[in-house]
Amino acid sequence: MTIPAAFASYRERVGAALADGARFAGLHGTSDGALVRTLLADPDGTTRVETVAAKEGVVPSIVDIAPAAGWDEREAHDLQGVRFAGHEPLRPLVSHDPALERWVPVRGDDVYQLAVGPIHAGIIESGHFRFHLVGDRILHLDAQLFYKHRGLERAAEGKTLHEGLAYASRACAACSVANGVAYASTCEQALGLVPTAELRRARTILLELERTWSHLNDIAAICAGVSLAAGNNRFAALTERARRLNAALTGHRFLFHTVRVGGSELALDPDQIWAAREELASINAAALRGWRELLFNTSFQDRLPDIGVVTATHAERLGAVGPGARAAGLTQDLRANSPHLAYEGFSAVVPERAAGDVQARFEQRALELWQTFAILDELLDHPIQPASAEPSGDEQPIGVGRVESPRGATSCIVERGDRIERLRLRTGSYANWPVVAHAATDNLLPDFPLINKSFELCYACVDR
Amino acid sequence: MLTLLRDLRRLRKTIDLPQASRGRSLAIRHVDAGSCNGCEHELTQLSNPYYDLQRFGLGIVASPRHADVLLVAGAVTTRMREPLLIAYAAMPEPRRVVALGDCALGCNLLGSAEDLIGPVEAIVPIDLRIPGCPPTPEAIAEALLGLIDRGSAATPTNGPILVDVGR
Repeated sequence: MTIPAAFASYRERVGAALADGARFAGLHGTSDGALVRTLLADPDGTTRVETVAAKEGVVPSIVDIAPAAGWDEREAHDLQGVRFAGHEPLRPLVSHDPALERWVPVRGDDVYQLAVGPIHAGIIESGHFRFHLVGDRILHLDAQLFYKHRGLERAAEGKTLHEGLAYASRACAACSVANGVAYASTCEQALGLVPTAELRRARTILLELERTWSHLNDIAAICAGVSLAAGNNRFAALTERARRLNAALTGHRFLFHTVRVGGSELALDPDQIWAAREELASINAAALRGWRELLFNTSFQDRLPDIGVVTATHAERLGAVGPGARAAGLTQDLRANSPHLAYEGFSAVVPERAAGDVQARFEQRALELWQTFAILDELLDHPIQPASAEPSGDEQPIGVGRVESPRGATSCIVERGDRIERLRLRTGSYANWPVVAHAATDNLLPDFPLINKSFELCYACVDR
Repeated sequence: MLTLLRDLRRLRKTIDLPQASRGRSLAIRHVDAGSCNGCEHELTQLSNPYYDLQRFGLGIVASPRHADVLLVAGAVTTRMREPLLIAYAAMPEPRRVVALGDCALGCNLLGSAEDLIGPVEAIVPIDLRIPGCPPTPEAIAEALLGLIDRGSAATPTNGPILVDVGR
């Protein structure tokens, strides 16, 4: 894997994999910028890493054959100093250059720029949006994130695999379990371990508990996006109940400290299991009632269709993942191919009207929520014991782990010797931010909050 | 929709907060200086029907120019230092700064030295600390209500800011 490969053959290998149906799943530079690695994922869930050595700091860009690699290459340039031949202009992503030229130049009559953020008007994470507009219509949106860049990946270098968990799971509270499980799976692959059935079940329950509050919160946020206070309050109250359930089961409302490398300490006795099942059934029933109310609220429903459209072709091209991709009709969900988790028999749902607009993404949340309640109902049928992973193969210098977070496919890579040499976490939010910018194009500026909330992405696990 | 509103009214009675009878208010501007978004998610929950913090006169305002309180979450990143100072400088006096969550208080920080400045206190003087990772909505509510009760008797704060916010 460390043998320097010819530039042409790297591009050919990536191109051939993509032509065979593989999807781009991440690209990163090694800590010293000497190597660039591209993660590719086949539809059956297997992954491979293609590596190219930099010559005088330059590697060939793949952004022309895999547009989803755009942000990854810009990040590798800013953080590891890699230059990408053929990626022109290679605009800063993590580095914040105040010069106006860093923005996409928009010329013509009546075109103007509107700057929003990094501090927003509500309770929103920090990030800057640069709208290019004619009147109220959005011509182009540049999202400048990374205001919250804490250098987590860099800080994890030199740590042990066990210490590294904190850097992955504390990247983001909303995706703490998904990122933690992705990291733990990565390390277990590197250590030659596989989780036992009980460990798979424990982790799957945690992941679905996270998805429960997250999707309830997303529905509340979309209601807030059109100022429907009643719908917002209803689902915000259900989000609260889901978080209280998390606290009752694990001692933490966001399920912090529940994931461990090589095992799980989660223990739920029959009384806790029973109480959890009862509360989940009650939340499910209340969510169904609330959902029905929203379906019959025509003034609300009229606001959703044909706003923020991402067609299946564009979703595929831009590398969209998660509910946003499925709402455009892409039936991809990592849960369908997760041998290290307890998703036997799972298949992805897509809405009947998979138009890739706000309406479809809204409906997608509900469809996935009903699935999640069913999965939890099935898995929470007997007590949970602490569990561990078992040795099953050789240790590897590079581990890869992928998990379907509430916001989509999250990939984690760890390169290691005795300690972590490089940690890369590419979350569902990271994959989807360029899709949000695309979805906003050609829409009216006042619809942007609604479009944004229909994706409801995190900033924290993008910025890291 | 009416049944929905009726259900929501019931929820408020289940939380153990005092009756709203203070007759005072605080306008709050939240700034995320580099959090993991846990503090933001819990802060958002303060307006859900269980807590409904507006009934106590506590509201989130869109601009620091309208704010009495700057509520800062997260340890301050190098990239958020300047926006935080600009927001602080834009506030009218008297003003209060609240550090929300363990990161803002400098506990247990993770990150690289070149990207992370440190606790909020390293940038602006703070008046109230709300610990927790993240603090629960109850903890945030109680701390902010305490700030209202302190009222004008609170320690006077904040001379002119000494840090240059220009580029």
